[in-house]
Amino acid sequence: MNTDRTLKAAPAGKLDVQAVRAQFPILSETVHGRPFVFLDSGASAQKPAVVIDCMADAMRHQYANIHRGLYWMSERTSEAYEAVRGQVAAFLNAPSHEEIIFTRNSTEAINLVAHSLGSLMKPGQAVLISEMEHHANLIPWQMLRDRSGVELRVAPITDEGDLDMEAYGRLLEDGKVALVAMTHMSNVLGTVTPAREIADRAHEAGALVLFDGSQAAVHRRTDVQALGADFYTFTGHKLYGPTGIGVLWGRRALLDDMPPFLGGGDMISSVTFEKSTWANVPHKFEAGTPAIVETIGLGAAIRWVESIGFDAIEAHEQALTAYALEKLADVPGLKVVGAPKQRGGVISFTMADVHPHDIATLLDRNGIAVRAGQHCAEPLMRRLGLHATTRASFGVYTDTHDIDVLAETLARIRDFFV
Amino acid sequence: MNGAAQDLYDRQIVERARNPLYAGELPVPDLQGEGRNPLCGDRTRLDITLEGHHISQIRHRTRGCALCIAAADMLAERLGGCGLEEARAVGARFSAMLVAPDDPAETTVQKAAKRIENPPEGIPSLGGMEPLMAVRFHKARIRCVELPWVALKEALAHVRV
Ligand SMILES: Cc1ncc(COP(=O)(O)O)c(C=O)c1O
Repeated sequence: MNTDRTLKAAPAGKLDVQAVRAQFPILSETVHGRPFVFLDSGASAQKPAVVIDCMADAMRHQYANIHRGLYWMSERTSEAYEAVRGQVAAFLNAPSHEEIIFTRNSTEAINLVAHSLGSLMKPGQAVLISEMEHHANLIPWQMLRDRSGVELRVAPITDEGDLDMEAYGRLLEDGKVALVAMTHMSNVLGTVTPAREIADRAHEAGALVLFDGSQAAVHRRTDVQALGADFYTFTGHKLYGPTGIGVLWGRRALLDDMPPFLGGGDMISSVTFEKSTWANVPHKFEAGTPAIVETIGLGAAIRWVESIGFDAIEAHEQALTAYALEKLADVPGLKVVGAPKQRGGVISFTMADVHPHDIATLLDRNGIAVRAGQHCAEPLMRRLGLHATTRASFGVYTDTHDIDVLAETLARIRDFFV
Repeated sequence: MNGAAQDLYDRQIVERARNPLYAGELPVPDLQGEGRNPLCGDRTRLDITLEGHHISQIRHRTRGCALCIAAADMLAERLGGCGLEEARAVGARFSAMLVAPDDPAETTVQKAAKRIENPPEGIPSLGGMEPLMAVRFHKARIRCVELPWVALKEALAHVRV
């Protein structure tokens, strides 16, 4: 097996992967006595030293509760926290930082919309999702349906794993759909959905559109205005940032009309026992003490990602994904799931005669981390006629050596079972 | 393969998963049970026939990993001809084996298996199921070998001994 990383040039050229890797302390760990090969970034990405240090520094040198204290330390912390709102707005090309709402993760962001916007929907209206949603963008709408009598529609995918645009169009035809809530990139198939077209068709039919950008925002530049989105969500921990911090972006006019989600401190304007009035957006949607340190950490992660640049990240990941598809095709019995028109750095596969659990455990014993199972997308698995898959997903630090080790080990696992 | 994985994927387990001896269904089962793991979609169904208070035959239909299939097959082998009371006791012993506290000195399956092979008096032996005991060092996989036992529990739930 080739274990020498330095001899292999990355196919992408532009991005210096080894220099990137050197910034992730965890990548020099060993697992079961083997070098750690991390191929589960789609579940959660590893963190560069700048993010780790930034959070530790915040707690060491600049921390107090925000928006409340009249003292220097609280004011500085509030500034650091609010500065990230501006950073996120720029990151998404949102028109205003006031449209950025901090949540715990993408799941909470979607739940916020399902509760708040959902409370304005009426029976007779519908929410339209797709067959390839993560449970995070399915269950909140199911719960809304059961609560309020709104219909839940599901747009089918093709056998290749693309959204079936014709069927999508038909589901919009009767004008009942109030909101299209759709993934911008599938965590199972890697499919990057044609967001602009999805949004245009939704708007023509009088529907709003929310994109679950949990996967997409990591791999390519996101411009919510160019996409024509009304809402967009992502989650910090997949973007090389900490857990506990996610983002909802929504158009100001919509957010203004939406009632609060959670109630408590920080989200009010005035309070009596009889009646309270709400703070303006975004604070209306941020009840209680937020994830202060994590938000500051997200700011560091975004700064770091932008220092690398999405042109380089996308080129690297595209080249790497193409390389992986080629390498995996050579593994006997291995079948890649789906062949979408546009694929991000996510590859799900099955291997004849070997169950994904067995693959994942045996890969792990060789230091390789992948995900196996249903990937929080049980209905999609059913649609694909599969019970489980193994998934390798890539990040900015993934290199061809990781792929080589994966492919070689998979071939040996197959030999072991067959 | 790397050492500890070899322990888990003992040749006997892999062989048994590939060529199960008790896979299939029974035409007229007296009892049926199912175990499902919603996280991964795995499933075991058991068909059981009884003769009085004894299990006469067990067959399983398992959609799962090698560990799950082997566990189901070994269950069927061990419990065929077994009294219902004993079947429950073997199940309890199997569960106990899976949650036994880690002994840092105990690094190989062989060492641990000794304790299993020589159970204290009154506790039924696990028979051919010893190779499965390596699963206790792989916490994430315990659920896989428990699934057939979940199915057994369901099948026996309404039977009074
Ligand atoms: C497509 C997609 N949507 C939503 C989520 C949920 O993200 P989180 O668990 O951070 O809320 C994930 C993460 O697994 C995902 O891949």
